[in-house]
Amino acid sequence: MNGYTNKILFVNLSDNSAGIIPTEKYIEQFVGGRGIAVKLLYELTPKNVDPLGPKNALIIMTGPLTGTIVPSSGRVDVISKSPQINLLGGSNAGGFFGHELKYAGYDGIVITGRASSKVYIDIYNDDVEVKSAENLSGKGVFDTVKALRKNDEDTQVACIGPAGEKLVNLSGIAFSMRNYAARCGLGAVMGSKNLKAIAVRGTKGLDVAVPDQLKQIADEMRERIKDTPSYKEFPEWHHKLFRVLEADAKTFFGNYDNVLWDGRFEAYENAEKFVKGAELKLQSCFGCPLRCWAYINMKNVGKASAVACQGTLTSIVNFAKIKDFNKVWEAYLLCQDMGLDTGGTSATIAYAMDLYSKGILSKTQVNAINLTFGDGNAFVSLVKKIAGKEGIGELLADGVKKASEKLGEAAKKLAVYAKGGQELWLMEIRPFKGVALSCAVTDSGSHNRAAYGLCEFYYRSMKTQAETVAKNIVGTEEAAQPTRYEYKPKLVAIYEDMHTLADSLGVCSIPFMPVGLDLWTKAYTASTGRETSPKDLMYVAERIRTLERLFNIREGLTRQDDTIAERMFSEPLKEGPWKGEALDKVMFEKMIDEYYALRGWDLTGKPKLETLKRLGLEDTCA
Amino acid sequence: MDKIVVVNYDKCIGCRTCETVCSLVHEKRINPSESRINVVKYEEIGANIPVLCQKCEDPACAAVCPMDAIKVDESLGTYIDYTRCVGCKMCILVCPIGGIGLNPANKKVIICDLCKGDPQCVKSCPEQALEYVDVSKLSIKKRREGLEKLAKFLEMAKI
Repeated sequence: MNGYTNKILFVNLSDNSAGIIPTEKYIEQFVGGRGIAVKLLYELTPKNVDPLGPKNALIIMTGPLTGTIVPSSGRVDVISKSPQINLLGGSNAGGFFGHELKYAGYDGIVITGRASSKVYIDIYNDDVEVKSAENLSGKGVFDTVKALRKNDEDTQVACIGPAGEKLVNLSGIAFSMRNYAARCGLGAVMGSKNLKAIAVRGTKGLDVAVPDQLKQIADEMRERIKDTPSYKEFPEWHHKLFRVLEADAKTFFGNYDNVLWDGRFEAYENAEKFVKGAELKLQSCFGCPLRCWAYINMKNVGKASAVACQGTLTSIVNFAKIKDFNKVWEAYLLCQDMGLDTGGTSATIAYAMDLYSKGILSKTQVNAINLTFGDGNAFVSLVKKIAGKEGIGELLADGVKKASEKLGEAAKKLAVYAKGGQELWLMEIRPFKGVALSCAVTDSGSHNRAAYGLCEFYYRSMKTQAETVAKNIVGTEEAAQPTRYEYKPKLVAIYEDMHTLADSLGVCSIPFMPVGLDLWTKAYTASTGRETSPKDLMYVAERIRTLERLFNIREGLTRQDDTIAERMFSEPLKEGPWKGEALDKVMFEKMIDEYYALRGWDLTGKPKLETLKRLGLEDTCA
Repeated sequence: MDKIVVVNYDKCIGCRTCETVCSLVHEKRINPSESRINVVKYEEIGANIPVLCQKCEDPACAAVCPMDAIKVDESLGTYIDYTRCVGCKMCILVCPIGGIGLNPANKKVIICDLCKGDPQCVKSCPEQALEYVDVSKLSIKKRREGLEKLAKFLEMAKI
């Protein structure tokens, strides 16, 4: 079928065999990307599969729109069973890997088994070879990408850093120089397979069903994106990165215990001065006009590309309260190079700082590091220790939840994480009931795959817009109010489905909403020649969403897992615009009931038989 | 030559939309390797440089072509007469800027034809990093831009 390459590359590293899985039979039910990846994971792995064992599958899938000319079409979805949360783990990355893989002739790659020594997979169109990566062992992401590109910048590399090699659960997979599938410990899965990298170069290109029509649709999409507030603001975000969080009252500091940290304005100013003093060049992913990231070169500190607006760079400041932005930049570069999830790592370090300040971790336990909030050097030392699993790093390498379990009750009480033990992404959760719900019910690992851009996010800074969106989606403006529990289940369910569709079509969730499902549907039909409608696609999203739940149920998930850390309930915010806000347990459980009902699941969170029948999933149920 | 596509490489965000649009327009499929324009990247320093035929007034490609397959249109500059081209690739070798490509699918030499005077890459570039500029106004445009940079520099020097 046009728009697809119709081949998924299958590599078993245990016996060096390779094969092709035809994409065709999955298209109608699961479309592509995240959808087909979840289906493949379900099919190819046995029940209770060990995430770091050879039987786990690491799946990198593109979607039917990846590599076409529509905006933001460079994305890949990465799916595996997560070692960090022991459930389905998913993470999505932009950049330039997705289309290159398709131009080489593959809709995706499935990797199983374990190589006997360190290897990388070299793909050039039909030539696929497993090669020795011994010389890359222990190398950082930047050097690995450079070595495998061999001066051809069109060669795209997916790789892990030293952290992934050491099976650190906080590690992700880097896609060339800056895009990361950071969450859920997928880097550790890749490391467990002794797979250092995948290098891909493709020159075959892609056939689409109705080229001229697709071009027109892409033109219209670009125009719609240019009309959005994000488009106008993105070039500025790097300068006023923290002000955006502050304006929406999503800010918190330290280990979720402080909103009005008195050092924050100095920290913001330092960050702004840093960015203004650095060489800055706006960049975009494949096909995208949004330029939401930038190449930043700070003389004497180092250069890299960064998204300065969301969870990563800013999280170092918010979690660790570091005012010296040179240090923040140094720590950020180190996380990227080590192949660590910067957000999760920052949360874990802040957690350790909190434990140390309360005497739960002793000076000896923290290897005599001055582990106090604000100390940039301590942060950098800890990143190194986590990446190498050395000393205190061994304890912290698998994130907040696993560390807390080793340290006892006092430590457990201070731990904050979402379902399964994934660190939250950078925002205060307590006032945002919709986000809190999505943290609990999500079945694809990180909740930013479900609730990013939820209209409560920007309620304070763009009220009218948030209310309009809420009214369009659930029929009432009130749904946009962060602290309201009502309407949130429906809102979250619809956002989840939209995210699922973006990840399955192979495009980015940031422009997905503003462009509108009507145009994405038209683009899908023009690319593939397959007639569909927005309604049909939402139905596919619902099917994928339920299959994710079925996978997790197979792996032992129960309703009790659909929650977030206790502190978000028991400890109201002490200060700031949302003073007094916490999650209410009764209301929270009510939201979950309602959410299950909307999904056609019973009160234990299990999809009902009639739901499975309606979605054509009755054969999948274990 | 009347007009050429001018590259403002400091504006390019590296999205490569120009490449996909070019291949779609000319080959009715999507493939940067079949595009007449390519964004050459130096990712480590954040540089994105779109490269395409600059429509030389005295084109080396035409001079070297043993089959006289590269011709010069008075208004649109160099173009390839595929009835004469034998695919020797000499033009690719002599082009001083790497502005000529080779379609990997059919091994034909490819060169920008300015979309017959309506270059689609320019239209779809989201950052106006590509401009279709009257050749006679090119130097004055560049001078003006240079002076603007100088003025900024002088302004900074005052402080």
